[in-house]
Amino acid sequence: MLELRNLWKFYEAHGSERAVLRDVNATFWKGDAVGILGRNGAGKSTLIRILAGIEAPSSGQVIRAMSVSWPLGFGGAVHGSITGADNARFIARIYGKPTGWVESFVEEFAELGEYYRMPVKTYSAGMSSRLAFGLSMAIDFDCYLVDEVIAVGDARFTERCRIALEERRRRSTLLLVSHQPGILRSFCTTAAILNQGTLTFHEDMDQALATYEAL
Amino acid sequence: MDGYGRGALPPLGLAGPLSRFIAALRLQSTVIGAIMLRELHTRFGRHNLGYVWLFIEPMILAFCIAGLHKISGHGMPGGVDPLAFYIVGYTPYYLFRSILNRAAGALQANAPLFYHRQVSFIDVLMARNLLDAGAVLFALIIMLAGNGVVTGEWPDDPVWMAIGVMLIALFCHGVSLLIAAATAWGAEAVERVVHPLTYLMIPLTGAFIAVWWFPPAVQELALLNPTIHMFEIIREGQFGVAVQHHYSLGYVLASVAIANVMGLIAMRAARRHIALQ
Repeated sequence: MLELRNLWKFYEAHGSERAVLRDVNATFWKGDAVGILGRNGAGKSTLIRILAGIEAPSSGQVIRAMSVSWPLGFGGAVHGSITGADNARFIARIYGKPTGWVESFVEEFAELGEYYRMPVKTYSAGMSSRLAFGLSMAIDFDCYLVDEVIAVGDARFTERCRIALEERRRRSTLLLVSHQPGILRSFCTTAAILNQGTLTFHEDMDQALATYEAL
Repeated sequence: MDGYGRGALPPLGLAGPLSRFIAALRLQSTVIGAIMLRELHTRFGRHNLGYVWLFIEPMILAFCIAGLHKISGHGMPGGVDPLAFYIVGYTPYYLFRSILNRAAGALQANAPLFYHRQVSFIDVLMARNLLDAGAVLFALIIMLAGNGVVTGEWPDDPVWMAIGVMLIALFCHGVSLLIAAATAWGAEAVERVVHPLTYLMIPLTGAFIAVWWFPPAVQELALLNPTIHMFEIIREGQFGVAVQHHYSLGYVLASVAIANVMGLIAMRAARRHIALQ
């Protein structure tokens, strides 16, 4: 279970405080696949970063009773000046996994060829997101936080991501953040809308998408 | 750990505070170890010669200045070996400068690491500073061993000297926490202030001056600066008690403790305000 209680987040801008998240309450259970919709700047990434524990809320609580991934998205967790393989070994070490196993798992999953042993800064955008996604798939989390990663790679890789996430969904929670309704439909069973800092849950996907379109 | 990160600690109530503390300690040492290995690759990488500068820079300085002493015919005060004097001065100064100069950019340069909840700002600074201290200690040993073989002048008490180097590292670690905390106001501004300061500090750190050269009034003033004590300890490790070295171990330990406590408090206060992208 992953729970948010009375969560507020303020950012300081030009000397005044602006609330990005206003009293967000949510509980996510094992097996949930929730899509969170929001326009650009609605606070989606902030919410994901707080869920992941990268950023602290201004007030309120995050209760993590399961293991939560880092936000899987555009690069992000990948370090540019070392190779893909070095990144894999680093991730393995800090998550307590066998380094050799993670290294070969990611090599196979990300299909980077000889680039796997070259610095990540030489990669194309698609290649680094493949690496990032491969790294996160090498660690078993109870809950995956996905920040629009699927939109990046080519069709073949998108399909791979979909299958990998689908397979995991049986035993993990998936929280996917997007501003594209289409992606939500193929991955999620329920949806929530983040608008002006408030998170509203909808049991019915069609109703959620209709509400979102009307915003 | 299974991906729980800091959340992997047993929930309160299920385990005693001691076992929670031990679990946290084990996790932190794993993380610091992993960051150190990664830093080894980025800094002293497989393809660049980063580590070579660690030897070359102090050696250029030591050889040139020792050479000048030789040519001019002026020995060092007290007849100490100028080459050794500048090696044991500049190499630890290199550590001082490296830790402080890199503190402002340390968090920005490692932004991707903080995507992982179990990696804290302090872990990154600790890993880098430990690696720096280890590298400098290694360089110092190699250079002094070389000097010993060539000139026959061996360090009087190498362990005492290593303690002096570690004290510099610990003190600078505390200051690096303060610098990193200050980046909450903008990393670039902090960097621009710290860099010139580390250069202006060259004559003041005590790396190239011995306290006994000065009259008592000046000595008293100089000994207000904690790093002078540390360089005196290092010099005593090299030259022994042939000349008198001035330091107070109590003053040094108190400075190290104060710098670190202040650094931790500052990091705690600044943590939420440090913007990384």
